[in-house]
Amino acid sequence: MNVRARFPIPDSLFPMSGEFVFATAQYESGDWDSAPLVPANLIDSVARYTSLPIAPTGAIVALASDDLFRFPLVYLTGHLPVRFTDAERTNVRRFADRGGMLFVDDHNHDIDGAFHKTAVEELTRAVGPLSQLPNTHPIYSAFFKFPDGPPNTSHELNGWGDNLVHSHLLAAMRGDRVAVLYSNKDYSSEWGYHPDNKRFLSIDNTKFGVNIIVYALTR
Amino acid sequence: MGEHALRVIAMAAIATLLWRAVRPPVASGVDVVRGDLQRALTRWTLSPATDMRVVLDAAPDPRTRDWLRALARAGGAFRWSSSRPIGAAAVVAEPAAEPNGVTRVRLASANGEAVSVADDAGTIDTLPRGGAREMELGAIAGAVRASGATFTATSDPRDSVLLRPVLVLGAAGWESKFTIAALEERGWRVASRVRVAPKIDVTQGLLGSIDTARYAAVIVLDSTAGPSSQEIIRYARAGGGVILGGSASRGGAFVGIAPGRVGARIAGVAGAVASAAPRTGLGGFPVSSPGADAVVLESRDGVAMIAARRLDAGRVMQVGYDETWRWRMAGGDESAAAHREWWSRLVGAVAYAPLVPRGPGVRSIDETPLASLVAALGPPTPLDAGLVAHGDNARITLMLFILVAACLIAEWASRRLRGAR
Repeated sequence: MNVRARFPIPDSLFPMSGEFVFATAQYESGDWDSAPLVPANLIDSVARYTSLPIAPTGAIVALASDDLFRFPLVYLTGHLPVRFTDAERTNVRRFADRGGMLFVDDHNHDIDGAFHKTAVEELTRAVGPLSQLPNTHPIYSAFFKFPDGPPNTSHELNGWGDNLVHSHLLAAMRGDRVAVLYSNKDYSSEWGYHPDNKRFLSIDNTKFGVNIIVYALTR
Repeated sequence: MGEHALRVIAMAAIATLLWRAVRPPVASGVDVVRGDLQRALTRWTLSPATDMRVVLDAAPDPRTRDWLRALARAGGAFRWSSSRPIGAAAVVAEPAAEPNGVTRVRLASANGEAVSVADDAGTIDTLPRGGAREMELGAIAGAVRASGATFTATSDPRDSVLLRPVLVLGAAGWESKFTIAALEERGWRVASRVRVAPKIDVTQGLLGSIDTARYAAVIVLDSTAGPSSQEIIRYARAGGGVILGGSASRGGAFVGIAPGRVGARIAGVAGAVASAAPRTGLGGFPVSSPGADAVVLESRDGVAMIAARRLDAGRVMQVGYDETWRWRMAGGDESAAAHREWWSRLVGAVAYAPLVPRGPGVRSIDETPLASLVAALGPPTPLDAGLVAHGDNARITLMLFILVAACLIAEWASRRLRGAR
């Protein structure tokens, strides 16, 4: 089925000049829409901490669509195995080559899970091998400071799943810029709640999401 | 009978050759030279003539031209003519104010003759009908030569440019990101101050006072640079290059130095970023009412989108486009490279780029052969009949010799055919 035809994006939702729109990638395989609350939560955080003009609602963009190139930062997540179509793979490669940044988060928290293995395979085929991103990378200081690298999620800390704390994120680079940022820390679960519930947290756990967006918009 | 006629013709031709060899010069005291000038130059130097006339069939090389000029200034009358029109041509090779070491070659040729552009490594390009051409060469070997049938123009970059970093100021957003990326990918060193929140900037590179000792150009993408406006204006007046993007010059801070006012925003043509004219797909703020000293560099449907002006020792450019990142992301396969090149050219056009001599060395430069010839020797005089006749000596002599030989061979052949000795 043509996912673009299923979810056409009206022109009114395309970003106005200077306005940032948080876009979620829609792909043929797997469950691309497994974290529907993350966009709203990150949009809330960006609006809360920065003065960036940001669209109040996110957009959903098909990876195989030319619309992908209207959103230079795209979030991709899921639980299930990922297999890109040829069109998706080609688009991801062009997207990375032109300066776009794809943020991929494994919505599972496990070792060598189906999403992780297949997504890494597909991304490697599309944009080249992923390697560990140093914890001193500018993305960890783009707005908030994370001197120890990527913040841990509650799922890592409470032993849920594989009882493993992932110490690094992975990335595929274009020059000195991150083209694909890959996380298997399950931020999609960590950030998947209604923004109003942020008030119940002693520390806002979406701050690293703000860093990712600010990094994408500035580097 | 025929053999007698042939012998008579041969004798007449020999007599003519003899007369031409011993006849007096065209005019007393007149020394006419055509073709190879070296022997005549030596002769005139050792024994100056009272009236020197030169018939050229091509622009002489600089050494010959300078020698002729010295003789002309040393006394005696000097005139020059050309046996055919010498093409007016000019070539100049100079370092582009861009970081990738590009040499920009500009060529113009007036009379429609084919021009070949070459360096020491070989031919670079050919213009079958002359005309004007600008080309960017990543590397050149030796001097650049533009050669036609009647001229050879030569140029050699005498200087290199000193390029300092570019400072980019703007709010966080795709335009800031991709402007910085385009310039960095093209080789510019970029310092940036990108506003993320009130009093919170993401910075990159060495930031300091804005002056020509630190930055080659300053790009102001929006109004966030307002607090630095006076510093930026001083920088421009001192020789710096400033690019005002989008609506940066709207209201207050930069109105006084902008080439024009900021017009109402226009939208891009849907889908055009992937077309052959990609910038028609970009929205932006046109440059309305360009000032008297402004030069419009790019227009769309009669509306100025890019204009520039001089500001004391510096330059200010107003670029109406405020979302060029769409061109890079959503354009055709070459859009990323084209976007880089476009931004780099804009910066190069205004950049403060002091020239640095490449060092001593004798370089053979003759960028405008005909103009230099006229400047050295004055304008050409018409080619009079006497000069033509004198100038045609060699050809007539050759023809007479051929005639003599043909007649004598024909007579000999005729005699042999009828058995006579």
